[in-house]
Amino acid sequence: MSTMSARSAWRTLHYSAKRRAFQPSTPYRCFSCSRASQDPKSDHERMTHFGFRNVPESEKESRVGAVFSSVASSYDQMNDLMSLGIHRLWKDHFVRSLNPGSPLSARINNPQQKGWNILDIAGGTGDIAFRMLDHATNINHDIETRVTISDINADMLAEGRKRSIDTPYYNTSRLDFIEANAESMPHIPSNSVDLYTVVFGIRNFTDKQAALNEAFRVLKPGGVFACMEFSKVDNPVFDAVYKRWNFSAIPLIGQLVAGDRDSYQYLVESIERFPSQEEFKGMIQKAGFMAPGRGYENLTGGIAAIHKGIKPVTKA
Amino acid sequence: MPPITRLLPRKQLTSLKPTPPTRYLTTSSIRPTRQIKTQPLISPRTHPTRTSTSTLQTRSRSYHSSLHPSLPPHAYTNSQIAILEASLSHVPTHGFTHASLTLGARDAGFLDVSVQLFPRGEFDLILFYLASRRGLLRAKAESEDFFREFATKNGIDASSLEGKEKVDVKIKMLILERLRMNDNIRDQWSDALAQMSLLGNIPLSIAELHALSNDILNLAGDESVDASWYTRRAAVGAIYASAEVVMTRDTTGDMSETAEFVERRFEDRDILSKKVEVIGQCFSFWGNTVLGVGRSYGLKV
Repeated sequence: MSTMSARSAWRTLHYSAKRRAFQPSTPYRCFSCSRASQDPKSDHERMTHFGFRNVPESEKESRVGAVFSSVASSYDQMNDLMSLGIHRLWKDHFVRSLNPGSPLSARINNPQQKGWNILDIAGGTGDIAFRMLDHATNINHDIETRVTISDINADMLAEGRKRSIDTPYYNTSRLDFIEANAESMPHIPSNSVDLYTVVFGIRNFTDKQAALNEAFRVLKPGGVFACMEFSKVDNPVFDAVYKRWNFSAIPLIGQLVAGDRDSYQYLVESIERFPSQEEFKGMIQKAGFMAPGRGYENLTGGIAAIHKGIKPVTKA
Repeated sequence: MPPITRLLPRKQLTSLKPTPPTRYLTTSSIRPTRQIKTQPLISPRTHPTRTSTSTLQTRSRSYHSSLHPSLPPHAYTNSQIAILEASLSHVPTHGFTHASLTLGARDAGFLDVSVQLFPRGEFDLILFYLASRRGLLRAKAESEDFFREFATKNGIDASSLEGKEKVDVKIKMLILERLRMNDNIRDQWSDALAQMSLLGNIPLSIAELHALSNDILNLAGDESVDASWYTRRAAVGAIYASAEVVMTRDTTGDMSETAEFVERRFEDRDILSKKVEVIGQCFSFWGNTVLGVGRSYGLKV
């Protein structure tokens, strides 16, 4: 009996998802009136994708904003459930491979060395920022390195601020929060940042290339752009399992835990639409960065990938 | 000293001759004319210019050809070479460590964070050291009078360079010369050996050792084309690798202990090859004898 009810509950969820995604194949056309021709969005505005749907570029920002405002409070809990806790390992690996902070041997006899200036884009909840500060302090004994957390979403920043109270960096000059759009950051001077990180964020940007160009501008020559993002799984068998998990389980978990199916449906669709490793590497190189080695590192068979780019030093 | 960039082992494109233009021979006959295409000896290949390093790294061949020298396993960008070259000057004090890389990056005008250019970290520095020393050795050995000078400096009879054993003598000289290049980083080298013996680093380390023994044999003028091609490379590789270990514990200033060690290993090799030869002779003698005895008893063999 209980299995039956569980199954019917599962069906309802499943079918409601399908119904929700239904869209008429042709747009509304009325021959007796001129409504279609009055629709201002049909031709003139550039479109971008929001999950699997196409929306005008001007709308994507607010839609993404709505998604993250709604998930901000349950963000960490949901990440754990969706990735089975693996996202913590990825983030630790990411920070360890970047090795933020100047080691003592490099700081000695060098008084003008003032630690790294790190810009963490889309790092609202401070996941990466706190890890980097911890690494700099505990591993490299560098108490000068500072992180600026930048996020477009005030709710995510508020969540990060709340969490920073429990860290030793609360209310110090080492941690800073700003609300900004990563595609244009006029308040950050050019050639001022050592390390630019964006972790699971660039997927949601309206114009990724513009964000990459902006990253290139703010970085010092020799500075590093590092990005961790969902990517394409290379093994077809694993890919099939992964897709199943993504499209069936994650929206369901979202509905049950966070009470918000649509946001998590958007999440998996945006993962699906994000360019592959090679394409994204091409975009990074197009912005002017040098890609070290292969240019990216796959994590867990390509579910996520770490991309790196170095701004070249031009000899005067 | 010439710039390292020019000494790094590179593909020798200049040794390839341009293919002759394809000619067509027409035969006059009643049947429809056929065109016979002359096959050029060297297949026409386009050699892409070195623009991107990533495409080169993915290209590799599974065969050996003297017409197409093997591609170098590492290709560096200019920034990487600048940082690595600057880092090498810090190796005698800081060893093959991240600190050397960081200091090198700073010397080359980069930031601390720029060591992200090297995904393998310290191991990239070690590989660069090995590859650049190999290039230096080649540049030295290809210069006119390297062997003669080496002989006079070390009191070796110069006539041995012309005799029957000239290849072996040259191999020994090249190994000693290569070991002496390690002189100023002798104390750090055990760390590098430890790094190279890590599981993930073993394939590249072995490839680099093979490249070195291959270079040494080529420079010494070895022309073996039979199974000894493999055994010789294995022997030179083994002697060099073991001599490196001895070098790290050598307390004599001029590496005389290491030189003696190399000398003894060459003697061992000679004794071993003689033993193998004698055993082979013995077996073939007994084999023939048994066969002869069998035949004399009427066996149809």
